[in-house]
Amino acid sequence: MHKPYIQRQRADWWLRNPAYRRYMLREATALPLFLYTLLLMSGLFQFTRGEAAFLQWLEMLRSPWLLALHGLALAAALFHAVTWIALVPKILVIDTDRLRVSPAAVKLAHQVGAVVCNAGLLLLAVLLLRAAAGN
Amino acid sequence: MRRSHEPVAWSLFGAGGMLLAFIGPGLVLTTALLPWLAADDPQATHAAIGALLAHPLGKLLVLACVALPLFHTLHRIYHGLHDLHLPAPRLPLQLLCYGGATLLSAVTGWWLLQV
Repeated sequence: MHKPYIQRQRADWWLRNPAYRRYMLREATALPLFLYTLLLMSGLFQFTRGEAAFLQWLEMLRSPWLLALHGLALAAALFHAVTWIALVPKILVIDTDRLRVSPAAVKLAHQVGAVVCNAGLLLLAVLLLRAAAGN
Repeated sequence: MRRSHEPVAWSLFGAGGMLLAFIGPGLVLTTALLPWLAADDPQATHAAIGALLAHPLGKLLVLACVALPLFHTLHRIYHGLHDLHLPAPRLPLQLLCYGGATLLSAVTGWWLLQV
């Protein structure tokens, strides 16, 4: 039997080509987003411990480290959203005899939807918290 | 042939990716601003979040916003480590990533039942 041919690849293969670097940057958005999810979990945990613990967590969010994490997570979430939606028309192909939607239209629909949902969530949170504080 | 974990892992990864694209930036901005949004009346913010967490749909929403991003990010981290040629055997790394996502999701579900 022949020995199997193994294609050698250097560990820094992705550094040489701008497209590969962008790919790795896209994959790396997962890291700050994972840490951010842990931060959300910590807020939920403090909530289970009572009001005082939750309010302390709320104050902790003002710390420069957590603001930096938020900034990093925001950049990662934006880069993720743009690259993710750019890939949607490659996966969601609507091309049948009865219904045909161009890839550009699929992408645009997702872009509009994402902008509306993200802005809507922020607006909803601001309005609800203001209404709650008004009571 | 052993059944692949990939369809399940990819479904959760895909759902998490879509969720993060549609509400990720908005959610991050909301929690970034939360201490300032709540500054006038922090107790009212606590009560408002309590009202969200008291409702079954609110619990489900929060679980989705934690569990799906966990599966999404840990799937990318697992494959990213492979891309970086991390010299680690596959199975323990899979257990760590997908098992970790499962465990953290279960803990989140447990906490949601406590409030």
